[in-house]
Amino acid sequence: MCPMITSTHMLPFQLQFKSGLPAYEQVVYSVKKAIIAGALKPGDRFPSVRVLSQELRINPNTAHKVVAALVNERLLDVKPGIGTLVADARPSTREQRRELLGDDVERVVVEAKQLQLDIEDVMQAVQQHWSRLS
Amino acid sequence: MNHVIETHNLTRRFGKTGAVDNLTLAVPQGSIYAFLGPNGAGKTTTIKMLLNILRPTAGAASVLGVDSTRLGPSEFARIGYVSENQKLPEWMTVAQLIEYCRPMYPDWDKAFCEKLRGQFDLPPDRKLKNLSRGMKVKAALLVSLAYRPRLLVLDEPFTGLDPLVRDEFIRGILELSDEGNWTVFISSHDIDEVERLADWVGIINCGRLTLAESAAALQARFRRIECVVSETARLPASLPPSWLVPEIAGHSVCVVESLYQAGSSEARVREMLPDAGQITATPLSLRDIFLVLARTYRLNNPSESQS
Repeated sequence: MCPMITSTHMLPFQLQFKSGLPAYEQVVYSVKKAIIAGALKPGDRFPSVRVLSQELRINPNTAHKVVAALVNERLLDVKPGIGTLVADARPSTREQRRELLGDDVERVVVEAKQLQLDIEDVMQAVQQHWSRLS
Repeated sequence: MNHVIETHNLTRRFGKTGAVDNLTLAVPQGSIYAFLGPNGAGKTTTIKMLLNILRPTAGAASVLGVDSTRLGPSEFARIGYVSENQKLPEWMTVAQLIEYCRPMYPDWDKAFCEKLRGQFDLPPDRKLKNLSRGMKVKAALLVSLAYRPRLLVLDEPFTGLDPLVRDEFIRGILELSDEGNWTVFISSHDIDEVERLADWVGIINCGRLTLAESAAALQARFRRIECVVSETARLPASLPPSWLVPEIAGHSVCVVESLYQAGSSEARVREMLPDAGQITATPLSLRDIFLVLARTYRLNNPSESQS
């Protein structure tokens, strides 16, 4: 007999879990990355907590926390009766947008110092990724 | 907080051997509770007492608000249970198994059952004895999910499953996440299997509960602290008891602080290691926390370290 093909909702962002970091942080980071890279555009539908949990095989409470954090940062909008959409309202000032990066930059700097790299190495790596995603 | 499972000094001895020793734990409603411990720690014995398969020697447990020794059909109709050594009526086909189980559960959801059967890729006309181990486990899960139980108890469900089946299994469990008051109690000897699934963790070792905490609380209090010291530096003989698995190698010291508080933990490091520079504190994954705890317990168990 012909085996049934199980349907999987494709998530609109990519994520390969790495061990070592909490799952919550990894998901939030992947979504932000997808928005900045344009894979998720303003007005795009964002998966529900249920789909997020099932597709990523994560605890529903973790999925809920992810959506709540992204709504709180105004990257997602909850539209009653429609669902959760990628927001088009960006934080108004450049300063506010820069603040969104704070934690991630700190982590990169900590990592770089542990690896005994200097700022030129970091700048060069940033440059590379910047051109890759532009 | 509402607790779906509660035990008080739950104890079971087999002859003179204590399998479970004064176990007191509480499983909050809505949680996915990982019950972790090495093989032989007492996980299965605990689960059997929770489900009235074994009588406690002492102590008590309540499940869905009912004393575990009084659990009856109306409670079992709301509990799903899959164990590592699940016995299935091997002569039945998948469809017959479904029809056999359905009348026992007033809340059986036929459409949901059929959806899961498709997802699990279980052919209805295949005899259970002709199914692979992974397919059998999926069949057992199927007939435990189809009535949307309020409590799902899984005893080492992933043992011997290949990664694909394990993934389907987890996906199946999460199908229930629509239910508002839905709780999962899952035992495992391997944190990797449940790391991203669990939001509560209980660790049992030699029949005793050594830790029971929410994953969020654990991740908040554990930090890996690293710092650079001079090459001649030595760790002081007496270190804070909250410092686990301290290591010194060349210029760097690494400890896991189990009671981390931003600022004061770093100050403590400077107190202990006056020449410490570049102190960093990084969060740990649930898996790393479990591995640190496992190492700590073993080191502190003299009977094992002598052998």
